Amino acid sequence: MHAYKIAPWRVQRQWIGNVLLAVVALAMVATLYLDVTSQAAIAGREIQDLTASISASQQVSADLQTQLASLTSARVMEQRAHDLGFRPMENGEAEYLVVPGYSVLEPDILSSAPLLQLSALTIPPEYNESLLDWMDKKIVNSARGAQ
Amino acid sequence: MRQQYARRTQVLTSAMALIALAIIVQMTRIQNSPEAAIFRQQASNYAYELRTFYPDRGEIYDRNGHLLAGNKSVYEIGVDLNIVKDPNAIAAAVSVELGKDYSQVLDSIQNPPEGVSYIVLSDFVDVQHAVRLQELKKTLEKQAAEGVRGGLFGLEFKSHPQRSYPENSLASNIIGFVSREGRGYFGIEEKYDTLLAGNPVQTLVPTDPNKAFEIPRVLNGTTLVLTVNRDLQSSAEQILDEALTTYGADNGTIVIMDPRNGELLAMAVTPRMDLNEFWNYGTIYHNATEFNPAISMPYEPGSVTKILTMAAALDSGTVTPDTTYLDTGSILVGGANIQNWDQAPWGIQDMTGCLQHSLNVCMATLSTKMGAGTFYSYMDNFGLGHLTGVDMAGEAAGRLKLPGDADWYPVDLGTNAFGQGVSATPIQIMMAASSIANHGRTVTPHALYAMVRDGRQYDVPAQFAGSPVTQQTADMLSGMLAVSLESEGSLALVPGYRIAGKTGTAQIPVDGFYDSTQTNASFIGWGPVDDPQFMIYVWLERPSASIWGSETAAPVFGQMAEKTIILLDIPPDNIRQQLVAK
Repeated sequence: MHAYKIAPWRVQRQWIGNVLLAVVALAMVATLYLDVTSQAAIAGREIQDLTASISASQQVSADLQTQLASLTSARVMEQRAHDLGFRPMENGEAEYLVVPGYSVLEPDILSSAPLLQLSALTIPPEYNESLLDWMDKKIVNSARGAQ
Repeated sequence: MRQQYARRTQVLTSAMALIALAIIVQMTRIQNSPEAAIFRQQASNYAYELRTFYPDRGEIYDRNGHLLAGNKSVYEIGVDLNIVKDPNAIAAAVSVELGKDYSQVLDSIQNPPEGVSYIVLSDFVDVQHAVRLQELKKTLEKQAAEGVRGGLFGLEFKSHPQRSYPENSLASNIIGFVSREGRGYFGIEEKYDTLLAGNPVQTLVPTDPNKAFEIPRVLNGTTLVLTVNRDLQSSAEQILDEALTTYGADNGTIVIMDPRNGELLAMAVTPRMDLNEFWNYGTIYHNATEFNPAISMPYEPGSVTKILTMAAALDSGTVTPDTTYLDTGSILVGGANIQNWDQAPWGIQDMTGCLQHSLNVCMATLSTKMGAGTFYSYMDNFGLGHLTGVDMAGEAAGRLKLPGDADWYPVDLGTNAFGQGVSATPIQIMMAASSIANHGRTVTPHALYAMVRDGRQYDVPAQFAGSPVTQQTADMLSGMLAVSLESEGSLALVPGYRIAGKTGTAQIPVDGFYDSTQTNASFIGWGPVDDPQFMIYVWLERPSASIWGSETAAPVFGQMAEKTIILLDIPPDNIRQQLVAK
């Protein structure tokens, strides 16, 4: 029976190979982690920007609505009509006709259906969960599953 | 030699491994030390901040969708003291644009309180001023980049919403106003303050900008749609203002209501205020009751109350329209002599004549015939002395003295019958009279037509407050009131339309005695009699052109009724009846 021994340089090479493999694996994990984290951060920023944009648009809309209401206020409209040569109608000047299908003006219905929900109810965990959080959750869940 | 190298390598490797191990051990030790726990705790304290998200205040519309109260952007202008480069430039710009004192602004920037890094120079600055300052800042920053002094670095602009009233003073008494702290005062703004304001949401927000956080869903305040018709309100205010000038009255009120459901279509009062300048409140009004006298200022309504006395007498079977009595010009009630308004006898009169000539003696006769129990029971059922429940802040209940009260005297049974010794607000009299106009059913006056919340509209149903008299009594009395107006050729009549109504002239008590030269002139009426679609109440305080309601309040009613008919598209009686017949 012959006993063989691996040459020391081979052992060294194996060690170096293993270490390099570990370093590459770690680098890959780090790259992945960095990529996911940066994507989550960018998405978070975009959400904040969009929210701010929605808020600003709503404020502009409210401003314009108020401005429009001021421009069409009762006093302004009356003055405009007067300037255009109109005058208020007197009693007895109105002619009443039967118009088939005409119904008396009813108060406006401002809204009848729910508006689209603009703000996000929940953000998926992908956007606010780190890789470590994800791993931690998986470990906890598997531990619970084992129990 | 080779072994020596291998040994050296091993020693070196071991030393480096030891150093690495020591570093790792030290890192682990530091990470788990009590000091590290303290630092972690401190970091976690600043990792999140509690932020409150305020919803936009709900808007207020009239029944046809015209905006009466909305929101607009205003700016808070402040200075970030950490990045200020030229305080003089900021002080100069702010003093020129916003009218602030230059030296005060400069002093506040140069000598801020200890530990303060941001100071507010001005708040609620309108968009125009803020935009001009922003443009100036941009221009000066460009120049500063080129080496010229005077940049407005550090000047900050933060926009936030503020209540705005596009119609200014129109319907100010109905709407009320919102203070800068966001609290509603008077009218709808106070009554529905909680609904309009919505619910602020508090949430923890990470201070790390790279951390995404869940945006809370903040529902805006509820939007309200009022029963008020803007154009009718505008007309009522114009007619009232003209009436004050024409008849020399101190103040006045015109209220228009749909007697079928209690919807308030218009409520004009004087004085009014521009709601965008609510800080003038103290200079316009002496006390809170003046903001909306229609609901908060009880007064002795006088002869308009005769409608209620006659309704009680007819409904209780005490009299019929044809019952006659001999008017001698005076009657003794509770030891006091009650006389007619002209102190003259009117001879034999039927009940329509009583109303037409507004005879105090007749009314005192009816109330004494009914007896205190019956009379006051009816007055109580009509709602005198009770709040109507109108949905505006600041309603007053008035006063109806009852037998057993310390200040009730037997003579009150006679005087209360023609509206003396009893106090009520215009809205109370309207609610009481709505039972006559609305075929026996009393309506609750209200100003809210609908609420819009989360994209859905919820209509507010009409509420009825009992039936103090039968439909037969109500219709009979409406007819009698119409005949009485037609017989006297009242100035309240509108050609082509049958109107029912009653004048009121109540002397004003001064130092405990009624002053015959100072009166409250009133008129309440509704039409068209066979299908009432509007009820109008006119009250003029101390008219100087004439003390009589028939010569002041009645023509104002006529004018207002004509306008109402046009704006509500109510055809003349003959055309309407033809349309109904078809």
